[in-house]
Parts: sequence; C-alpha cells; structure tokens
Amino acid sequence: MKQFLTVVAFTLLTIGFFSAYSNYGIPQIEPAPPPKEEKLDLGAMTMDQFIALGERIFNGKGTCTLCHNELGRAPMLGTLADVVPERLKDPLYKGAAEDLESYLIESLVEPSAFVVVGFGKKGTNDSESPMPNVAGGSIGLSEAEVAAVTAYLQDSSGAEVTVEIPTHVAEADEEEEAEEREALGDPAALMAKFTCDACHMINGQGGEVGPKLSKIGAEHDRDYLRRALLDPNADIAKGFEADMMPDDLGEQMYVTELEVLLDFLVALK
Amino acid sequence: MKIPRLLQAVLVLAAVYFGFILVFDIILDAVIPSSLLAMYMFFAAAGVFMVFTYDEEQTRELVAPIKALVEDPSKRPWRNIVFVILPLAVGGGTYMQMQPSFEAPLELRTIHPAPPSTAKIYGKRVNLLKLENPLRKIEKEDPEQFRELVNEGAAVYIRNCQYCHGDKLDGKGPYADGLNPTPLNFQDVGTIAQLQESYLFWRITTGGPGLPKEAAPWISSMPVWQDFLKEDEVWKVILFLYDYTGHRPRSWEHE
Amino acid sequence: MNRPRFILGFLIAVLAVAFGGFDALAQEVQEAIAAFAPAPKLTAADYPTIAGVNSRIAVWIFAQLHLWFAAFVLAVPIFVFIIEVIGMKTRDKRYDDMAYEFIKVSITAYSLTAILGGGLLFSLILFYPHLFNYLSTIFSETMFYYALLFFAESAILYIYYYGWHWLQGGFKKWVHLTLGLGLNAVGTTLMLLANAWLTFMMSPAGVDAAGVFSGDGWAAIHNFLWNPINIHRFVANIAYGGSIVGAYAAFKFLTASGPQERAHYDWMGYNANFIAICALLPLPFAGYYLAAEIYAYSQQMGITLMGGIFAWLFIIQAVLIGTLFLSANYYLWCGMGRSDGAKRYTKYIKYIAIVLVGAFLVWFTPHTLVLTNEELKALGGPYHKILGPLGIMPAKNTAVNVMIIFTALSFMFYRRANKVATVSWVNAGNAIQVALFTAGIANIMFLGIYHGYFTNTVYKVAASIPQVLTTVLVIVGSITLDSFIYKGSREVAPLHWGRIPGRAQYALFLLAVAFTWLMGLMGYIRSGIRQHWHVVDIMRDASPDAFTPTLGFAANVVSVAAILFMAMVIFVFWIAQVSGNKTLPSGYWKEMAT
Repeated sequence: MKQFLTVVAFTLLTIGFFSAYSNYGIPQIEPAPPPKEEKLDLGAMTMDQFIALGERIFNGKGTCTLCHNELGRAPMLGTLADVVPERLKDPLYKGAAEDLESYLIESLVEPSAFVVVGFGKKGTNDSESPMPNVAGGSIGLSEAEVAAVTAYLQDSSGAEVTVEIPTHVAEADEEEEAEEREALGDPAALMAKFTCDACHMINGQGGEVGPKLSKIGAEHDRDYLRRALLDPNADIAKGFEADMMPDDLGEQMYVTELEVLLDFLVALK
Repeated sequence: MKIPRLLQAVLVLAAVYFGFILVFDIILDAVIPSSLLAMYMFFAAAGVFMVFTYDEEQTRELVAPIKALVEDPSKRPWRNIVFVILPLAVGGGTYMQMQPSFEAPLELRTIHPAPPSTAKIYGKRVNLLKLENPLRKIEKEDPEQFRELVNEGAAVYIRNCQYCHGDKLDGKGPYADGLNPTPLNFQDVGTIAQLQESYLFWRITTGGPGLPKEAAPWISSMPVWQDFLKEDEVWKVILFLYDYTGHRPRSWEHE
Repeated sequence: MNRPRFILGFLIAVLAVAFGGFDALAQEVQEAIAAFAPAPKLTAADYPTIAGVNSRIAVWIFAQLHLWFAAFVLAVPIFVFIIEVIGMKTRDKRYDDMAYEFIKVSITAYSLTAILGGGLLFSLILFYPHLFNYLSTIFSETMFYYALLFFAESAILYIYYYGWHWLQGGFKKWVHLTLGLGLNAVGTTLMLLANAWLTFMMSPAGVDAAGVFSGDGWAAIHNFLWNPINIHRFVANIAYGGSIVGAYAAFKFLTASGPQERAHYDWMGYNANFIAICALLPLPFAGYYLAAEIYAYSQQMGITLMGGIFAWLFIIQAVLIGTLFLSANYYLWCGMGRSDGAKRYTKYIKYIAIVLVGAFLVWFTPHTLVLTNEELKALGGPYHKILGPLGIMPAKNTAVNVMIIFTALSFMFYRRANKVATVSWVNAGNAIQVALFTAGIANIMFLGIYHGYFTNTVYKVAASIPQVLTTVLVIVGSITLDSFIYKGSREVAPLHWGRIPGRAQYALFLLAVAFTWLMGLMGYIRSGIRQHWHVVDIMRDASPDAFTPTLGFAANVVSVAAILFMAMVIFVFWIAQVSGNKTLPSGYWKEMAT
C-alpha cells in the first residue's frame, strides 16, 4: 500500500509539474477571439465586416460574378474609382449621381443609366444595359445589402469607403420574402419579374449568357422546358456553362405562373 | 583527498551555473535571460541527478551524508541547525519572490506574429499569402538594373530607416536607445532571413499599429510607412535589406 | 476431423455470412441518404446547454480518455504478437507468458475503450448534434463498417485471449498466431477509419466549398492529412503501449514479494521499455512529416501551428520529449547494474549525459525569449545573438538527431555490458564503430550549421532529410556491425534480472506519465489549429466555446483528463490482479462427503 501511495504521489507530482510549467513557466497568450459572423447584426458591425458582407453578397446572393468575371460578359469593377469621375462627365451618362457612392448605388438599381461601350444589350446600340436591377426580381437585394455591395466595390477598387452602415434595416429582407404577392398571368410581366432577358435573347432582345429562346418551342418539348426551369443544371445546352441560371425559380414561382411561362415558351416557334 | 559525492554534485551544478554566467554575461557580453537560465539549471540538475544515481553503490555514497545528518545521533547539533535554517531559507526565498517590486511586469513580444491572410495596403486588399516582390524577378533578368534598384532602395533606407535600424542594418541607429521594443536587427539570422518578402512588405507598410492582437503589446513605434513611402520604394528597400545583409528571403522554391 | 481446422472453417463461414448480410444493409443506408445537404450554418442557439456542463470540455475529456485507451489497446496486440512470435521461434516460454500477461492487462482496458467511445459518441450527439449529423451523412458508411469491425475485433480478441492456453503447441500455435495477426489487422483498420473522421475535419475532401458531399466516401477518407496522421499515430501508439506496460511492470516490481517475481517483472519492464524506445526514436521524424504536410495543406494552418500562439506549446512539448529521452536513458543506465561486466562502460555514461543534456537545452531554447526589462536593455533588444539562432528549426533538428544517436549509443553500451567479444578483429571493429559515430555526428552538425544558417530556407528545410538519413544509417550500421563483432561472444556472467534500483522503476512511471500528458497536449494542438471551425473552411463553430483557450487552460484540462485516465488504468491493473486472487473461507461451504 505504501508503494502504491508513493507511486500515486509521484504521478500527481509529475502531472502537477507539467501543468504548473504550462501555466507559469511560459507566457500565457490570449488568442484572438474567432472573427464575428457579420450579417446578423448590422448595428454592431464594423466597416470591415460590412465590406466583407458586401463581398459575400457580390460573390453569392447578388450573382454579380456570373457576368462580372474574366470571361468579359460585363465590365470588370477593379478600376471603378478611376473611371467613374470620367463617366459622370460623359455626355452619354443619363443618371443623376454626383459622386462615386451615388453612382454605384444608381448603377446597381438602375443599370442603364450608363452603359459602358460594347456592353449594352444587343441591338440597343449601348443605350440599354443587360444587367438586371439587383434590388428587384430574383436577386432582390435589400437596401442594406445594396449599401454593403457598394461599400465592397469602393473598397476593392481602391477608393475610400463613404457608404454608411444603415442602422434601421436588417430584418427588412426577410419580411419581404415572406410577403404574399399576386400571381402574374402575363408572360411578359413574368419575364420581366424574373429578369429572364438579362441572359436569354428573345426576338432580338436580351443577353447572350444563356441560349436563345426565340425558337425554343421548336427545339424542345414542354417537359424538357419545365425541367430546364426547375433544375437548370440537369441539361446544359451545347456551348453554355452550368451553374449560370438561378436554380430556385421553382421556389419563387407559383405553379400557375410556371404553366403560363411554359405555355408561352412552347408557343415560341 | 576524495571529494564526497554530494559535494561533487553540488560543485558540478555550481560550475554549470557560473559557467553560463561567465560565458554569456562576461565573455560574450550577451546576458542569459534569467527565465531561461532557471530552466537550463533545472534540466542540468536532472542530468546531474541521473549521472550520480544510476549506480546503487554510488547512490548510497551520495545520500550517506544526508542520511547521517537525519539519523546519526552524533550529528544532533548539526541537525538542529539545519532544521532551523532550511525552513527559514525557504520562507525567506518565498518572501523575496512575492515581494512587490518596482520592476515593470514582463512583456512578451511575439517576434513573428502570424500575418493575416489579407491586409489593406495602399487602399487595396492584398493577399499576403500570394504576394511577391514585383522587382525580385529583375535580379535574374537584368542584374545591372537590379543593382540600380538596390541602390535606390539604399537611398530610401538612409533617408528614412537608418535613424532607428542603423546604417549597418544592425538595429543600432542613433535613436535606437530610446525605443522599446528596440529596432529590429536585420543582420540577425533569426529575423528577415526567416521571412518571405511579403511579410516584410506587410510589416513596413502597416507598421506598429498594423500588428495583430496576438502580438500585443503593440507599443512598437514603427511608423505606418504606406503613408510616407510609395509602393515601389518599399519594395526597393526590401531588395536593399536582403542585398546588404546577404540573406535570402524565405521561399518555397529552389534557386 | 481435425478440430482446429474445423473451427477455423466455421469462423470464416460465419464472418462471410455476416459480411454479406451487412453489405446489403449498408446498401440500404447508402440509398437512404442519396441527396446531400450543404454543411449547416449554425448560430449559438444551435448548441444545447445541458445541466450547465461545458460542452467543449465534456467532449474534450471523453475524446481524450477514449483515445488514450484506444491507443493502448491497439498497441498491446501489436507487440504481444511480436513477442509471441519470438517465443515461438526461441521456444523460450518466458516470452509466451509475458505476452499473455500483456494481453491480460489490456482486456479490461478494451471494454473501457468501448465504454468511453460510447461516452464520446453520446456527448457529441448531445452537445454538438448538428456537427455529428453533418459528419454522419458523410461517414455513414464508414461508421457502419466501424461498428462491424468492432464486433469482429471483440470476437477475435476474446478467442485470442481465452484460447491462449488451449491453442498451444504445433499447429494450434499457428492458429493462435493467425488470430493475433487478424486482431492487429482489424484493430489497425479501426484506427484508420477513426483517423479519417478527424482528418476530414482538418483537411476536408470529397465535399464542395459549401460542404455538399459528392457521395465519394473514399475521397473523404483519403483526405490530405489522413496518411501523415496514420503513420504518426501508429508509431506513437506502439511507444505509448510500451510505456504503459512498462509502468505496470514497474509497479509489480516494486510490490513483488520475492526475488523470482522481481526478476520476472524487471525483465518485463525492460522489454516494455525497449519497445517504447524503439518506437520513440522514429517518432520525431513522423511528427516532422505531419507538420510539414499541414504546412503544405494550408500555410495559414502551418503558421498558426508553428509561429502563432501555439509556438509556446512546442516549448512545453520540448520539455516533455526531453523528459522522455532522459528517463529512457536513465533506465538503461540503471539497468547496467544487472550485469557484472558493465563497469567497463560506465565511465562513458557521464559524457553521454553531458551531450544529451546539452542537446536537450538547445532543443528547448525558445525562439522568443522571456526577458525582464533590465535584460532587454542589456541585450539591446529582444534578439539574442547567441541564443537566437538556437531557437529556429535547424538547431532543433540537429539537437534531436544527436539526442537520438546518443540514446542509441546508451542502448549499445547496455547490450555490450555483459558480453566479451571473441572475434579476432574486435579492435578494428571498434575503431569502425567510433569512426561511424564520429562521422555521423559531424555530418549532422555540418548539415545543421551550414545549411541551417548559411543558405536559404529551402535548404534549411531540406537539410533535415539527410540529417535523418545519417541518423538512421549510424544506428542501423552500428547495430549490424555490433551483431557481427559479438557473434559467438561469451557472457561475463548470467544477467542478474531484478538487480536494479527502485529509482529506475520511477523512470518508467515518468515515461508513462510524460507520454500520456504529451499525447493529450498534442491532441489539443492538432484539434486547436482548426481554430473556430468544426470542419475547416466549411462548417463553422458558432458555439460560445469556439474561441481558442490559452495554453495554461488547455494544460489544466489535459492534466485533469490524465489523472482520470491514470485512475482508470490503476483500476484496470487492479482488476487484472484480483482475478488471480483466491480466498478460501474456512467453514463457509458445507463439507461434502468425499
């Protein structure tokens, strides 16, 4: 028994020594706390976090990188700080902005106010932009989110960030989603609501990111088109890339709307 | 006369202790930190213990005086003296340890805090993991032009940096004595030779205020040089730092 | 009909049926989870608080205890198998008895491993339900096979252990050895599976950036850090198992009642220590490889590991590894007392000690020194021109290689202590030995100093490989040469097993305790470099405990866990001993007419 207790005491002393050395023998450095998750509370957000939020929206929810990428579908945004002052003086400029901040916000919600040469909608002679209004349609950024993206764009192009973090919003976007809306019965209104023409060309109107729809009814049947709307990556038309079309149209559209749209598309021959 | 083993052990330890003090503090003029010396002595004592006790007979010889002191009736006066002095010494030592002093508390500086993956420098968000010195490639492409760049870097250094970091890049500039932490010694093998150029770029441009929280206390008086120097000037200075000291920046490729 | 053959055939048939049936079941499980969701984004509200228990500490302690026991019960069969083979080859029954005693010790530990594994599982499900859920969608199949293998492991272990005395001699011994091999194969596979789960959390694979599983289970298992961890854990487990059995033998030695028992447990302790040291020597290299791979996987993780807040942890690690090396050497030196011829070599011990301690001090010197203000002023800065260069990797690599070579030298002296060489070329042989060691050490020093300080970083890192090769070459070369020199040598006198001081047994205890604690600490850092991620870059830890604790706090948790573990180990050993005790109460049972 005495041996046993000696061994126990020896073990405890050894462990005690290791513990004591780790506590007092070396400096105790308090590691930095984990970075905060930004999007929960705008009120407690620093500007860096707000910019980071903007960056995530830019790459994610905002779907901006679908076109603003190296493939040249839309202008790159790294030099905004330098080019915007010139654009504001450009005679082709149709908006009301006076500085970078207001220009950026305007270009997000009213993209056609200034169209960079060569990037306009086909056939409009660069008078109309193929970019959708990011505050409406399927993108649906809230006011705060638009501000965050603006802050990110200022920051990433090397300008001083002048946007202020909105204090009063935060829950706005969630309410909006829950809001009931009337089902639309007009295919044109549906196309506009879901900004199909931002990517698809119909009768000479629209972008070229996705396949032309002018004769789509002749090329595919109704089932194919339904699948293409609900699960866009199931079949990818030749020459186009996957993951470009939003895959949540099924959640956003009413069933009646889907059928109206399909009727319209099948009739395009 | 044979020295008793217990005394031998004590003498060896004393020799190690004073040996360290002699070599570091006096001969090399580079004080050995007391915290480190304490640990060194702890393990030296462990080593001495091991060498003196692995053999049964020698161990008996080692502990014989201690045993005698405790058990031998004829050593009674000695025993009494030791049993009074020993607790007093321990108590005194504890008192001295716990006594408040005027010494400022120890400060620990992490010499190379882990850099953030990106930092905002010159108004741009820079990925520090991928950043490279844009001028480095000229070293091979055009040695003459490279020499010129190094010289320009030297000029920038002399105008801005040498006041603290010294004209020999050894951290002993005219103002160095007034600073705590003292300016970095670039000649030291443990400083810039251990680092990538992007790390230097980050430290120079963002200075003391740009240090991460882990590196606290951030009382470094290194200025935020991006407010005073142009970007290419900083890269040129970095070329100069490596060129003058003969170090190579850390890299992951063979040269 | 030959009975063993029949039993073997029966076993195979049962296993085949079982696997077939389970395969079909696995298929169903697989189909049920065909669609995979991305990793959930959690908030603090997703983590239940239960009875005020700190979730992280609860899971931490359960995981750690489970790991210690698992390491022990996986390692013991490995060397039990080896010892059994040695026993069969040499026909020395002592080996067989020792192997049996080892496995007896581990059998209670085996059920404790299972219980603690269950505890870990329950605490994960209770405290981190979403994490467990996510991981189980990816690893459902491996978890299934894990459970299956666990049954197989139990079955084999029970037959292996309870059939030990039955399966003796001739063909039966071969059957028993086969079972031992099967036990090890299953045990190692179990470890590999469990390793896949934890390395997935560090270097996720088989999932996209949002954490959606591709359905390829092998990709998730075979992630970037899987093999480095496998190698490191396999080697470390053997060293660890050896050290725990060594502690067991040490305790039995101290409480032995007669010289014969003392001799037996001395011999057992020596063998256990030998196993531990053999596995300890390559361990620093396995660790170095693991760290290098972590760097290669993610530089940020690597910097967090070596340069950030965890830098000081490696100083604690250095102290512990130094403790391991010193106590292992001390045990060898004490063991020289068993032989009458050792006097010829003891005079060298103090030089070995000086080199070992010297190398250890280099190994231990931190890169960032803790300086008082006065010292700071005297030095003119936080850089120490002498000690600074010792703080970086080349010096430490050199030091650890020297430590390993000198430990091998200690061991060589121990082996030579009781022998007198009879070959004619003994002087030449010794001269070659000296030359080999001298050249090896010189090469290591040259590589460390020249490449460490006078070339760029690529070579600094690269120099570690020739250093390791030199060390391996010296050790293998000298042992080979020694075996030739001492071929047909005569013994000075029979070894006096049991003639070793009690102090040496404490060196064995120290080895076991330091090993246990070190594993706990390194487990913390391995997990800690994930920082605030459950699964790195994919699933964030949003719990209130997501922060990285200070090293002191971590050390305290490890200490508490280590004490719990030691208490359980004592229980395990006690139980193993109780089963051998018999009480004969007089007049309790009624007398039977005979």
